[in-house]
Amino acid sequence: MGGILSLPVLGVAVIYGITGIPNFAIGVIGVFGGFVTWYFFSSSIGLAIAIGIVVCFIIGFIIQRVLLTPISEKGGDSTLFFIITVSVGFVFEGMLRAIFPRPNISLELPRIGTMNLGGFTVEWFKIIALVFAIVTLIVIRLMEEHTEIGKSWQATSQNLKLAKLVGIKTTQVFSFASGIGCALACIGAIFWGSLYNLQLSSGWDLGFMGFIVAVVGGIGNIWGGLISALIMGMVMSFSGYLFGGEWQSVILYLIVIIVLIIAPKGILGSERSL
Amino acid sequence: MKGHYEKIGTIGILLIPLLFVLRGGYLQEVTGYVYLFLIQGYVAWFLFFKSGQPFFGYSVTMAIGAYGTIVLTEIFKWPLLGAMMISAAFAPVVGVILFLSTIRAKGFYVSMTSFLLAIMFPQLINALQDITGGRSGLYFSGMTAFMGYKTLYIIVILTTVVVVTFFVWIMGTKTGRILTLISENDRLTQAVGINTFRYKLLAYTIACFISGLGGALYVNYTGFISSIDIEVFTTLYIFFIPLIGGSSVFFGPFLGALFVILIPELLVPVERYYRIFFGLIFILIIVLLPKGLAPSLRRVFEKIRKKNV
Repeated sequence: MGGILSLPVLGVAVIYGITGIPNFAIGVIGVFGGFVTWYFFSSSIGLAIAIGIVVCFIIGFIIQRVLLTPISEKGGDSTLFFIITVSVGFVFEGMLRAIFPRPNISLELPRIGTMNLGGFTVEWFKIIALVFAIVTLIVIRLMEEHTEIGKSWQATSQNLKLAKLVGIKTTQVFSFASGIGCALACIGAIFWGSLYNLQLSSGWDLGFMGFIVAVVGGIGNIWGGLISALIMGMVMSFSGYLFGGEWQSVILYLIVIIVLIIAPKGILGSERSL
Repeated sequence: MKGHYEKIGTIGILLIPLLFVLRGGYLQEVTGYVYLFLIQGYVAWFLFFKSGQPFFGYSVTMAIGAYGTIVLTEIFKWPLLGAMMISAAFAPVVGVILFLSTIRAKGFYVSMTSFLLAIMFPQLINALQDITGGRSGLYFSGMTAFMGYKTLYIIVILTTVVVVTFFVWIMGTKTGRILTLISENDRLTQAVGINTFRYKLLAYTIACFISGLGGALYVNYTGFISSIDIEVFTTLYIFFIPLIGGSSVFFGPFLGALFVILIPELLVPVERYYRIFFGLIFILIIVLLPKGLAPSLRRVFEKIRKKNV
Protein backbone atom coordinates (compact mmCIF):
# COMPACT_ATOMS: atom_id res chain seq x y z
CA MET A 1 0.00 0.00 0.00
CA GLY A 2 2.80 2.41 0.94
CA GLY A 3 4.38 1.95 -2.48
CA ILE A 4 1.21 3.01 -4.29
CA LEU A 5 0.53 5.84 -1.87
CA SER A 6 4.07 7.12 -2.34
CA LEU A 7 3.41 8.18 -5.95
CA PRO A 8 0.62 10.73 -5.35
CA VAL A 9 2.54 11.77 -2.22
CA LEU A 10 5.57 12.46 -4.40
CA GLY A 11 3.31 14.40 -6.75
CA VAL A 12 2.02 16.55 -3.89
CA ALA A 13 5.55 17.01 -2.53
CA VAL A 14 7.00 18.02 -5.93
CA ILE A 15 4.21 20.54 -6.59
CA TYR A 16 4.20 21.99 -3.10
CA GLY A 17 7.98 21.92 -2.71
CA ILE A 18 8.50 23.96 -5.88
CA THR A 19 5.39 26.10 -6.28
CA GLY A 20 4.34 26.42 -2.63
CA ILE A 21 0.77 25.66 -3.69
CA PRO A 22 -1.22 22.85 -2.04
CA ASN A 23 -3.00 21.18 -4.96
CA PHE A 24 -5.96 19.11 -3.76
CA ALA A 25 -7.10 18.28 -7.31
CA ILE A 26 -4.04 16.14 -7.96
CA GLY A 27 -5.78 12.84 -7.09
CA VAL A 28 -8.82 13.56 -9.28
CA ILE A 29 -6.56 14.58 -12.17
CA GLY A 30 -4.51 11.39 -11.64
CA VAL A 31 -7.68 9.25 -11.72
CA PHE A 32 -8.83 11.15 -14.83
CA GLY A 33 -5.54 10.00 -16.39
CA GLY A 34 -6.29 6.47 -15.17
CA PHE A 35 -9.65 6.55 -16.98
CA VAL A 36 -7.96 7.92 -20.13
CA THR A 37 -5.48 5.02 -19.91
CA TRP A 38 -8.36 2.56 -19.55
CA TYR A 39 -10.08 4.10 -22.61
CA PHE A 40 -7.06 3.34 -24.84
CA PHE A 41 -6.19 0.08 -23.11
CA SER A 42 -7.48 -2.22 -25.82
CA SER A 43 -5.11 -0.77 -28.47
CA SER A 44 -1.79 -1.05 -26.62
CA ILE A 45 -1.10 -1.10 -22.88
CA GLY A 46 2.17 0.84 -23.15
CA LEU A 47 0.66 3.48 -25.44
CA ALA A 48 -2.42 3.79 -23.23
CA ILE A 49 -0.29 4.38 -20.12
CA ALA A 50 1.83 6.93 -22.00
CA ILE A 51 -1.29 8.78 -23.21
CA GLY A 52 -2.72 8.87 -19.67
CA ILE A 53 0.52 10.24 -18.22
CA VAL A 54 0.95 12.85 -20.99
CA VAL A 55 -2.67 14.00 -20.64
CA CYS A 56 -2.17 14.47 -16.88
CA PHE A 57 1.10 16.33 -17.44
CA ILE A 58 -0.62 18.70 -19.87
CA ILE A 59 -3.58 19.23 -17.52
CA GLY A 60 -1.25 19.97 -14.59
CA PHE A 61 0.86 22.30 -16.75
CA ILE A 62 -2.13 24.26 -18.05
CA ILE A 63 -3.92 24.57 -14.70
CA GLN A 64 -0.78 25.93 -13.10
CA ARG A 65 -0.07 28.32 -15.99
CA VAL A 66 -3.59 29.63 -16.50
CA LEU A 67 -5.09 29.51 -13.02
CA LEU A 68 -2.77 28.91 -10.07
CA THR A 69 0.33 30.95 -10.93
CA PRO A 70 -1.67 34.13 -11.73
CA ILE A 71 -3.57 33.78 -8.42
CA SER A 72 -0.29 33.13 -6.59
CA GLU A 73 1.20 36.30 -8.11
CA LYS A 74 -1.77 38.26 -6.79
CA GLY A 75 -0.92 36.99 -3.29
CA GLY A 76 -3.33 34.05 -2.84
CA ASP A 77 -2.99 32.19 0.45
CA SER A 78 -3.18 28.44 1.25
CA THR A 79 -6.90 28.59 2.05
CA LEU A 80 -7.67 30.19 -1.31
CA PHE A 81 -5.65 27.51 -3.12
CA PHE A 82 -7.42 24.85 -1.11
CA ILE A 83 -10.78 26.13 -2.34
CA ILE A 84 -9.64 26.73 -5.93
CA THR A 85 -8.01 23.33 -6.32
CA VAL A 86 -11.00 21.54 -4.76
CA SER A 87 -13.17 23.36 -7.34
CA VAL A 88 -10.79 22.21 -10.09
CA GLY A 89 -11.24 18.70 -8.66
CA PHE A 90 -15.03 19.09 -8.98
CA VAL A 91 -14.62 20.01 -12.66
CA PHE A 92 -12.48 16.95 -13.43
CA GLU A 93 -14.70 14.62 -11.42
CA GLY A 94 -17.62 16.03 -13.42
CA MET A 95 -15.71 15.43 -16.66
CA LEU A 96 -15.15 11.81 -15.63
CA ARG A 97 -18.90 11.39 -15.14
CA ALA A 98 -19.68 13.13 -18.42
CA ILE A 99 -17.07 11.51 -20.67
CA PHE A 100 -16.64 7.93 -19.50
CA PRO A 101 -19.52 5.50 -19.74
CA ARG A 102 -18.53 3.34 -16.75
CA PRO A 103 -18.35 4.57 -13.14
CA ASN A 104 -16.08 1.75 -12.06
CA ILE A 105 -13.07 0.44 -14.00
CA SER A 106 -10.23 -1.97 -13.49
CA LEU A 107 -6.92 -1.74 -15.35
CA GLU A 108 -5.93 -5.30 -16.13
CA LEU A 109 -2.15 -5.08 -16.18
CA PRO A 110 -0.23 -8.36 -16.59
CA ARG A 111 0.06 -10.08 -13.19
CA ILE A 112 3.55 -10.81 -11.91
CA GLY A 113 2.74 -12.74 -8.77
CA THR A 114 3.51 -12.29 -5.10
CA MET A 115 6.51 -12.58 -2.79
CA ASN A 116 6.89 -13.61 0.85
CA LEU A 117 8.17 -10.84 3.10
CA GLY A 118 8.64 -11.84 6.76
CA GLY A 119 5.62 -14.12 6.74
CA PHE A 120 3.43 -11.67 4.80
CA THR A 121 2.47 -12.10 1.19
CA VAL A 122 3.14 -8.94 -0.79
CA GLU A 123 2.25 -8.42 -4.44
CA TRP A 124 5.23 -7.67 -6.66
CA PHE A 125 3.18 -4.89 -8.12
CA LYS A 126 3.28 -2.95 -4.84
CA ILE A 127 7.05 -3.46 -4.64
CA ILE A 128 7.40 -2.16 -8.21
CA ALA A 129 5.33 0.91 -7.29
CA LEU A 130 7.63 1.57 -4.34
CA VAL A 131 10.79 1.03 -6.38
CA PHE A 132 9.37 3.34 -9.05
CA ALA A 133 8.74 6.01 -6.40
CA ILE A 134 12.29 5.67 -5.00
CA VAL A 135 13.84 5.78 -8.47
CA THR A 136 11.74 8.87 -9.32
CA LEU A 137 12.88 10.50 -6.13
CA ILE A 138 16.54 9.75 -6.86
CA VAL A 139 16.14 11.04 -10.43
CA ILE A 140 14.59 14.27 -9.11
CA ARG A 141 17.45 14.70 -6.62
CA LEU A 142 20.09 13.97 -9.31
CA MET A 143 18.43 16.42 -11.68
CA GLU A 144 18.51 19.06 -8.96
CA GLU A 145 22.24 18.54 -8.52
CA HIS A 146 23.39 18.08 -12.11
CA THR A 147 21.03 19.68 -14.61
CA GLU A 148 20.05 23.25 -15.42
CA ILE A 149 16.34 22.44 -15.12
CA GLY A 150 16.86 20.83 -11.70
CA LYS A 151 18.93 23.76 -10.47
CA SER A 152 16.25 26.18 -11.61
CA TRP A 153 13.66 24.12 -9.65
CA GLN A 154 15.79 24.31 -6.55
CA ALA A 155 16.48 28.01 -6.94
CA THR A 156 12.79 28.76 -7.50
CA SER A 157 11.70 26.80 -4.45
CA GLN A 158 14.37 28.41 -2.23
CA ASN A 159 14.08 32.04 -3.26
CA LEU A 160 11.50 33.02 -5.83
CA LYS A 161 12.48 36.70 -6.10
CA LEU A 162 16.16 35.94 -6.53
CA ALA A 163 15.38 33.21 -9.05
CA LYS A 164 13.38 35.71 -11.12
CA LEU A 165 16.21 38.24 -10.80
CA VAL A 166 18.79 35.86 -12.26
CA GLY A 167 16.54 35.21 -15.25
CA ILE A 168 14.92 31.89 -14.37
CA LYS A 169 11.53 31.57 -16.03
CA THR A 170 9.74 30.76 -12.78
CA THR A 171 6.30 30.55 -14.41
CA GLN A 172 7.58 27.74 -16.63
CA VAL A 173 9.27 26.01 -13.68
CA PHE A 174 5.98 26.09 -11.74
CA SER A 175 3.99 24.76 -14.68
CA PHE A 176 6.51 22.00 -15.30
CA ALA A 177 6.47 20.98 -11.61
CA SER A 178 2.68 20.90 -11.62
CA GLY A 179 2.71 18.75 -14.77
CA ILE A 180 5.22 16.32 -13.22
CA GLY A 181 3.17 16.14 -10.01
CA CYS A 182 -0.05 15.32 -11.89
CA ALA A 183 1.79 12.76 -14.06
CA LEU A 184 3.06 11.04 -10.88
CA ALA A 185 -0.48 11.02 -9.51
CA CYS A 186 -1.61 9.40 -12.77
CA ILE A 187 1.00 6.63 -12.40
CA GLY A 188 -0.22 6.14 -8.82
CA ALA A 189 -3.81 5.92 -10.10
CA ILE A 190 -2.79 3.35 -12.74
CA PHE A 191 -1.13 1.17 -10.07
CA TRP A 192 -4.19 1.63 -7.85
CA GLY A 193 -6.54 0.78 -10.70
CA SER A 194 -4.69 -2.41 -11.46
CA LEU A 195 -4.75 -3.65 -7.85
CA TYR A 196 -8.17 -2.36 -6.82
CA ASN A 197 -10.87 -0.59 -8.84
CA LEU A 198 -10.89 3.01 -9.99
CA GLN A 199 -14.19 4.74 -9.27
CA LEU A 200 -15.36 8.23 -10.16
CA SER A 201 -14.70 9.36 -6.60
CA SER A 202 -11.38 7.49 -6.17
CA GLY A 203 -9.50 10.67 -7.06
CA TRP A 204 -10.58 12.37 -3.85
CA ASP A 205 -9.48 9.38 -1.74
CA LEU A 206 -6.15 9.24 -3.54
CA GLY A 207 -5.64 13.02 -3.45
CA PHE A 208 -6.67 13.60 0.15
CA MET A 209 -4.70 10.58 1.31
CA GLY A 210 -1.70 11.70 -0.74
CA PHE A 211 -1.91 15.16 0.75
CA ILE A 212 -2.37 13.89 4.30
CA VAL A 213 0.59 11.54 4.02
CA ALA A 214 2.68 14.35 2.52
CA VAL A 215 1.72 16.63 5.44
CA VAL A 216 2.71 13.94 7.94
CA GLY A 217 6.07 13.51 6.23
CA GLY A 218 6.61 17.28 6.24
CA ILE A 219 4.90 18.84 3.24
CA GLY A 220 7.32 19.69 0.45
CA ASN A 221 9.89 17.33 1.97
CA ILE A 222 10.19 14.55 -0.63
CA TRP A 223 12.07 12.06 1.60
CA GLY A 224 9.67 12.75 4.46
CA GLY A 225 6.76 12.07 2.13
CA LEU A 226 8.21 8.72 1.07
CA ILE A 227 8.88 7.56 4.64
CA SER A 228 5.44 8.72 5.70
CA ALA A 229 3.82 6.86 2.76
CA LEU A 230 5.53 3.64 3.83
CA ILE A 231 4.53 4.03 7.48
CA MET A 232 0.96 4.97 6.62
CA GLY A 233 0.71 2.12 4.13
CA MET A 234 1.77 -0.32 6.83
CA VAL A 235 -0.61 1.25 9.36
CA MET A 236 -3.48 0.79 6.88
CA SER A 237 -2.57 -2.80 6.12
CA PHE A 238 -2.12 -3.80 9.77
CA SER A 239 -5.19 -1.96 11.06
CA GLY A 240 -7.26 -3.56 8.30
CA TYR A 241 -5.84 -6.97 9.26
CA LEU A 242 -6.39 -6.46 13.02
CA PHE A 243 -9.66 -4.50 13.22
CA GLY A 244 -11.32 -5.06 9.85
CA GLY A 245 -11.58 -2.95 6.70
CA GLU A 246 -14.14 -0.48 8.07
CA TRP A 247 -11.72 0.71 10.79
CA GLN A 248 -8.74 1.01 8.41
CA SER A 249 -9.28 4.65 7.42
CA VAL A 250 -10.51 5.70 10.87
CA ILE A 251 -7.28 4.48 12.49
CA LEU A 252 -5.15 6.02 9.75
CA TYR A 253 -6.78 9.44 10.12
CA LEU A 254 -6.64 9.26 13.91
CA ILE A 255 -2.91 8.55 13.80
CA VAL A 256 -2.38 11.34 11.31
CA ILE A 257 -4.31 13.80 13.51
CA ILE A 258 -2.21 12.75 16.52
CA VAL A 259 1.03 13.12 14.51
CA LEU A 260 -0.04 16.58 13.36
CA ILE A 261 -0.86 17.57 16.93
CA ILE A 262 2.51 16.33 18.25
CA ALA A 263 4.64 17.39 15.28
CA PRO A 264 2.73 20.06 13.33
CA LYS A 265 5.49 20.27 10.70
CA GLY A 266 5.54 16.54 10.04
CA ILE A 267 8.00 13.74 10.75
CA LEU A 268 10.97 15.29 8.94
CA GLY A 269 9.76 18.89 8.99
CA SER A 270 8.48 20.96 6.11
CA GLU A 271 10.78 22.54 3.56
CA ARG A 272 8.29 25.36 3.29
CA SER A 273 5.94 26.79 5.84
CA LEU A 274 2.24 26.60 5.28
CA MET B 1 -25.80 54.01 10.15
CA LYS B 2 -25.43 52.24 6.78
CA GLY B 3 -24.22 49.10 8.57
CA HIS B 4 -27.18 49.34 10.93
CA TYR B 5 -29.66 49.33 8.02
CA GLU B 6 -27.78 46.43 6.48
CA LYS B 7 -28.12 44.37 9.67
CA ILE B 8 -31.86 45.11 10.02
CA GLY B 9 -32.34 44.51 6.28
CA THR B 10 -30.58 41.12 6.47
CA ILE B 11 -32.75 39.98 9.37
CA GLY B 12 -35.88 41.31 7.64
CA ILE B 13 -35.08 39.41 4.43
CA LEU B 14 -34.49 36.25 6.45
CA LEU B 15 -38.06 36.46 7.77
CA ILE B 16 -39.61 36.59 4.28
CA PRO B 17 -39.91 32.77 3.90
CA LEU B 18 -42.49 32.80 6.70
CA LEU B 19 -44.85 34.00 3.97
CA PHE B 20 -44.54 30.55 2.33
CA VAL B 21 -45.84 28.78 5.44
CA LEU B 22 -49.37 28.30 4.25
CA ARG B 23 -48.33 27.27 0.76
CA GLY B 24 -46.24 24.29 1.84
CA GLY B 25 -44.82 22.03 -0.87
CA TYR B 26 -41.41 21.82 -2.47
CA LEU B 27 -40.50 25.50 -2.14
CA GLN B 28 -41.11 25.40 1.60
CA GLU B 29 -39.13 22.19 1.99
CA VAL B 30 -36.13 23.56 0.10
CA THR B 31 -36.24 26.89 1.95
CA GLY B 32 -36.05 25.06 5.28
CA TYR B 33 -33.10 23.10 3.98
CA VAL B 34 -31.33 26.29 2.80
CA TYR B 35 -31.88 27.87 6.23
CA LEU B 36 -30.45 24.85 8.05
CA PHE B 37 -27.29 25.23 5.99
CA LEU B 38 -27.42 28.99 6.50
CA ILE B 39 -27.00 28.37 10.26
CA GLN B 40 -23.83 26.41 9.47
CA GLY B 41 -22.75 29.07 6.96
CA TYR B 42 -23.02 31.80 9.60
CA VAL B 43 -21.02 29.59 11.99
CA ALA B 44 -18.24 29.46 9.37
CA TRP B 45 -18.64 33.20 8.77
CA PHE B 46 -18.20 33.90 12.49
CA LEU B 47 -15.44 31.42 13.30
CA PHE B 48 -13.31 31.39 10.16
CA PHE B 49 -13.86 34.74 8.52
CA LYS B 50 -14.62 37.04 11.45
CA SER B 51 -12.60 35.42 14.24
CA GLY B 52 -9.80 34.15 11.99
CA GLN B 53 -9.84 30.60 13.37
CA PRO B 54 -8.81 28.08 10.67
CA PHE B 55 -11.50 25.48 11.35
CA PHE B 56 -12.91 23.07 8.76
CA GLY B 57 -14.83 20.64 10.95
CA TYR B 58 -18.31 22.10 10.44
CA SER B 59 -19.78 18.83 9.19
CA VAL B 60 -18.39 17.12 12.31
CA THR B 61 -19.91 19.52 14.83
CA MET B 62 -23.17 19.43 12.87
CA ALA B 63 -23.11 15.61 12.84
CA ILE B 64 -22.43 15.43 16.58
CA GLY B 65 -25.59 17.45 17.19
CA ALA B 66 -27.59 15.31 14.78
CA TYR B 67 -26.40 11.83 15.76
CA GLY B 68 -26.27 12.76 19.46
CA THR B 69 -29.93 13.77 19.36
CA ILE B 70 -30.99 10.48 17.76
CA VAL B 71 -28.85 8.28 20.03
CA LEU B 72 -29.91 10.04 23.23
CA THR B 73 -33.63 10.01 22.38
CA GLU B 74 -33.90 6.63 20.68
CA ILE B 75 -31.43 4.54 22.71
CA PHE B 76 -31.27 6.33 26.06
CA LYS B 77 -34.87 7.58 25.89
CA TRP B 78 -33.99 11.15 26.86
CA PRO B 79 -36.53 13.95 26.32
CA LEU B 80 -36.00 15.49 22.88
CA LEU B 81 -35.12 19.03 23.93
CA GLY B 82 -32.62 17.81 26.54
CA ALA B 83 -31.05 15.47 23.98
CA MET B 84 -30.71 18.30 21.47
CA MET B 85 -29.11 20.62 24.01
CA ILE B 86 -26.68 18.03 25.40
CA SER B 87 -25.69 16.93 21.87
CA ALA B 88 -25.16 20.56 20.89
CA ALA B 89 -23.09 21.08 24.04
CA PHE B 90 -20.89 18.10 23.14
CA ALA B 91 -19.94 19.67 19.78
CA PRO B 92 -17.87 22.48 21.42
CA VAL B 93 -16.10 19.84 23.53
CA VAL B 94 -14.74 18.31 20.30
CA GLY B 95 -14.04 21.74 18.77
CA VAL B 96 -12.25 23.01 21.87
CA ILE B 97 -10.18 19.80 22.23
CA LEU B 98 -9.08 20.27 18.61
CA PHE B 99 -8.26 23.92 19.27
CA LEU B 100 -6.26 23.11 22.42
CA SER B 101 -4.46 20.24 20.69
CA THR B 102 -3.39 22.34 17.74
CA ILE B 103 -2.47 25.43 19.71
CA ARG B 104 1.23 25.01 18.85
CA ALA B 105 0.50 24.78 15.14
CA LYS B 106 -0.23 27.67 12.85
CA GLY B 107 -2.77 28.52 10.16
CA PHE B 108 -3.09 25.90 7.48
CA TYR B 109 -1.90 23.01 9.69
CA VAL B 110 -4.80 23.68 12.05
CA SER B 111 -7.13 23.80 9.04
CA MET B 112 -5.74 20.48 7.89
CA THR B 113 -6.24 18.82 11.28
CA SER B 114 -9.88 19.86 11.42
CA PHE B 115 -10.29 18.97 7.74
CA LEU B 116 -8.92 15.50 8.51
CA LEU B 117 -11.48 15.19 11.27
CA ALA B 118 -14.13 16.03 8.66
CA ILE B 119 -12.77 13.27 6.39
CA MET B 120 -12.52 10.78 9.25
CA PHE B 121 -15.91 11.34 10.87
CA PRO B 122 -18.09 9.72 8.15
CA GLN B 123 -15.72 6.73 8.19
CA LEU B 124 -16.20 6.50 11.95
CA ILE B 125 -19.97 6.64 11.46
CA ASN B 126 -19.65 3.79 8.93
CA ALA B 127 -17.46 1.78 11.31
CA LEU B 128 -20.07 2.21 14.08
CA GLN B 129 -22.94 1.27 11.79
CA ASP B 130 -24.67 -0.91 14.40
CA ILE B 131 -25.48 2.28 16.29
CA THR B 132 -25.38 4.93 13.56
CA GLY B 133 -26.76 3.02 10.59
CA GLY B 134 -23.64 3.90 8.55
CA ARG B 135 -24.38 4.65 4.91
CA SER B 136 -27.93 3.27 5.23
CA GLY B 137 -28.61 5.94 7.85
CA LEU B 138 -31.14 6.41 10.62
CA TYR B 139 -34.72 7.61 10.40
CA PHE B 140 -35.95 9.96 13.08
CA SER B 141 -39.41 11.33 13.72
CA GLY B 142 -38.22 13.80 16.40
CA MET B 143 -40.28 16.98 16.62
CA THR B 144 -42.63 15.89 13.85
CA ALA B 145 -43.98 13.24 16.25
CA PHE B 146 -45.77 15.93 18.25
CA MET B 147 -45.98 18.94 15.93
CA GLY B 148 -46.85 19.58 12.33
CA TYR B 149 -44.26 20.01 9.58
CA LYS B 150 -45.30 23.66 9.13
CA THR B 151 -44.63 24.42 12.79
CA LEU B 152 -41.22 22.79 12.46
CA TYR B 153 -40.56 24.90 9.37
CA ILE B 154 -41.42 28.05 11.36
CA ILE B 155 -39.06 26.90 14.14
CA VAL B 156 -36.25 26.42 11.59
CA ILE B 157 -36.76 29.90 10.12
CA LEU B 158 -37.01 31.58 13.52
CA THR B 159 -33.99 29.71 14.92
CA THR B 160 -31.96 30.81 11.89
CA VAL B 161 -33.07 34.41 12.41
CA VAL B 162 -32.13 34.22 16.12
CA VAL B 163 -28.71 32.70 15.26
CA VAL B 164 -27.99 35.36 12.61
CA THR B 165 -29.17 38.14 14.94
CA PHE B 166 -26.93 36.75 17.67
CA PHE B 167 -23.87 36.66 15.38
CA VAL B 168 -24.58 40.13 14.00
CA TRP B 169 -25.03 41.40 17.59
CA ILE B 170 -21.88 39.76 18.94
CA MET B 171 -19.73 41.18 16.14
CA GLY B 172 -20.86 44.64 17.22
CA THR B 173 -19.85 44.13 20.86
CA LYS B 174 -16.41 44.56 22.43
CA THR B 175 -15.91 40.77 22.15
CA GLY B 176 -16.68 40.90 18.43
CA ARG B 177 -14.27 43.77 17.89
CA ILE B 178 -11.52 41.89 19.70
CA LEU B 179 -12.22 38.79 17.61
CA THR B 180 -11.94 40.93 14.46
CA LEU B 181 -8.66 42.29 15.76
CA ILE B 182 -7.40 38.75 16.42
CA SER B 183 -8.33 37.70 12.89
CA GLU B 184 -6.47 40.71 11.47
CA ASN B 185 -3.37 40.55 13.65
CA ASP B 186 -3.14 37.96 16.38
CA ARG B 187 0.29 39.02 17.65
CA LEU B 188 -0.59 42.70 17.80
CA THR B 189 -3.73 41.86 19.78
CA GLN B 190 -1.61 39.91 22.25
CA ALA B 191 0.93 42.73 22.38
CA VAL B 192 -1.68 45.24 23.54
CA GLY B 193 -2.40 43.00 26.52
CA ILE B 194 -5.52 41.13 25.37
CA ASN B 195 -5.82 37.50 26.40
CA THR B 196 -6.39 36.16 22.88
CA PHE B 197 -6.53 32.55 24.09
CA ARG B 198 -9.69 33.28 26.10
CA TYR B 199 -11.40 34.95 23.15
CA LYS B 200 -10.47 32.18 20.72
CA LEU B 201 -11.80 29.61 23.18
CA LEU B 202 -15.02 31.58 23.41
CA ALA B 203 -15.30 31.77 19.62
CA TYR B 204 -14.84 28.00 19.28
CA THR B 205 -17.36 27.30 22.05
CA ILE B 206 -20.05 29.57 20.62
CA ALA B 207 -19.54 28.47 17.00
CA CYS B 208 -19.44 24.73 17.71
CA PHE B 209 -22.45 24.89 20.04
CA ILE B 210 -24.54 26.66 17.41
CA SER B 211 -23.30 24.27 14.73
CA GLY B 212 -24.29 21.31 16.95
CA LEU B 213 -27.69 22.85 17.62
CA GLY B 214 -28.11 23.39 13.88
CA GLY B 215 -27.27 19.72 13.35
CA ALA B 216 -29.87 18.66 15.94
CA LEU B 217 -32.46 20.80 14.19
CA TYR B 218 -31.35 19.43 10.80
CA VAL B 219 -32.10 15.83 11.73
CA ASN B 220 -35.50 16.83 13.13
CA TYR B 221 -36.35 18.60 9.89
CA THR B 222 -35.04 16.04 7.40
CA GLY B 223 -36.09 13.04 9.53
CA PHE B 224 -33.04 11.12 8.32
CA ILE B 225 -29.26 11.20 8.50
CA SER B 226 -26.53 8.97 7.10
CA SER B 227 -22.75 9.15 6.73
CA ILE B 228 -23.30 10.39 3.16
CA ASP B 229 -24.96 13.56 4.52
CA ILE B 230 -21.88 14.47 6.53
CA GLU B 231 -19.17 13.63 4.02
CA VAL B 232 -16.21 15.96 3.70
CA PHE B 233 -17.97 17.81 0.86
CA THR B 234 -20.60 18.98 3.35
CA THR B 235 -17.92 20.84 5.27
CA LEU B 236 -16.66 22.32 1.99
CA TYR B 237 -20.14 23.46 0.96
CA ILE B 238 -20.62 25.05 4.39
CA PHE B 239 -17.29 26.84 4.03
CA PHE B 240 -18.23 27.98 0.52
CA ILE B 241 -21.41 29.70 1.84
CA PRO B 242 -19.69 32.80 3.33
CA LEU B 243 -16.82 32.59 0.84
CA ILE B 244 -19.02 32.73 -2.24
CA GLY B 245 -21.57 35.08 -0.71
CA GLY B 246 -18.95 37.48 0.62
CA SER B 247 -17.72 37.47 4.20
CA SER B 248 -17.33 41.24 4.55
CA VAL B 249 -21.07 41.87 4.31
CA PHE B 250 -23.71 40.72 6.81
CA PHE B 251 -26.04 39.33 4.14
CA GLY B 252 -23.13 37.63 2.31
CA PRO B 253 -23.72 34.15 3.78
CA PHE B 254 -27.41 34.45 2.88
CA LEU B 255 -26.57 34.95 -0.80
CA GLY B 256 -23.92 32.23 -0.49
CA ALA B 257 -26.41 29.71 0.96
CA LEU B 258 -28.92 30.47 -1.79
CA PHE B 259 -26.17 29.94 -4.32
CA VAL B 260 -24.50 26.84 -2.87
CA ILE B 261 -27.72 24.99 -2.00
CA LEU B 262 -29.96 26.15 -4.84
CA ILE B 263 -27.53 25.87 -7.76
CA PRO B 264 -27.42 22.05 -7.46
CA GLU B 265 -31.25 22.07 -7.43
CA LEU B 266 -31.30 24.17 -10.61
CA LEU B 267 -28.73 21.91 -12.26
CA VAL B 268 -30.81 18.75 -11.74
CA PRO B 269 -31.87 18.67 -15.46
CA VAL B 270 -28.18 18.51 -16.44
CA GLU B 271 -27.22 16.20 -13.59
CA ARG B 272 -24.53 14.49 -15.62
CA TYR B 273 -22.64 17.78 -16.04
CA TYR B 274 -23.57 19.16 -12.64
CA ARG B 275 -20.11 18.89 -11.04
CA ILE B 276 -18.44 20.54 -14.03
CA PHE B 277 -20.75 23.57 -13.85
CA PHE B 278 -20.54 23.66 -10.07
CA GLY B 279 -16.73 23.64 -10.07
CA LEU B 280 -16.48 26.16 -12.91
CA ILE B 281 -18.94 28.54 -11.24
CA PHE B 282 -16.89 28.40 -8.02
CA ILE B 283 -13.64 29.05 -9.86
CA LEU B 284 -15.13 31.95 -11.82
CA ILE B 285 -16.59 33.59 -8.72
CA ILE B 286 -13.36 33.22 -6.74
CA VAL B 287 -11.24 34.54 -9.61
CA LEU B 288 -13.54 37.30 -10.88
CA LEU B 289 -15.27 38.29 -7.62
CA PRO B 290 -12.66 37.55 -4.93
CA LYS B 291 -14.70 39.37 -2.29
CA GLY B 292 -17.80 37.31 -3.05
CA LEU B 293 -21.21 38.00 -4.54
CA ALA B 294 -22.64 40.41 -1.99
CA PRO B 295 -20.01 43.21 -2.16
CA SER B 296 -20.09 43.05 -5.98
CA LEU B 297 -23.87 43.17 -5.98
CA ARG B 298 -23.78 46.13 -3.63
CA ARG B 299 -21.36 47.95 -5.92
CA VAL B 300 -23.70 47.35 -8.88
CA PHE B 301 -26.69 48.74 -6.92
CA GLU B 302 -24.68 51.77 -5.86
CA LYS B 303 -23.67 52.45 -9.47
CA ILE B 304 -27.30 52.20 -10.60
CA ARG B 305 -28.40 54.52 -7.79
CA LYS B 306 -25.73 57.08 -8.66
CA LYS B 307 -26.76 56.98 -12.32
CA ASN B 308 -30.40 57.58 -11.39
CA VAL B 309 -29.45 60.51 -9.15
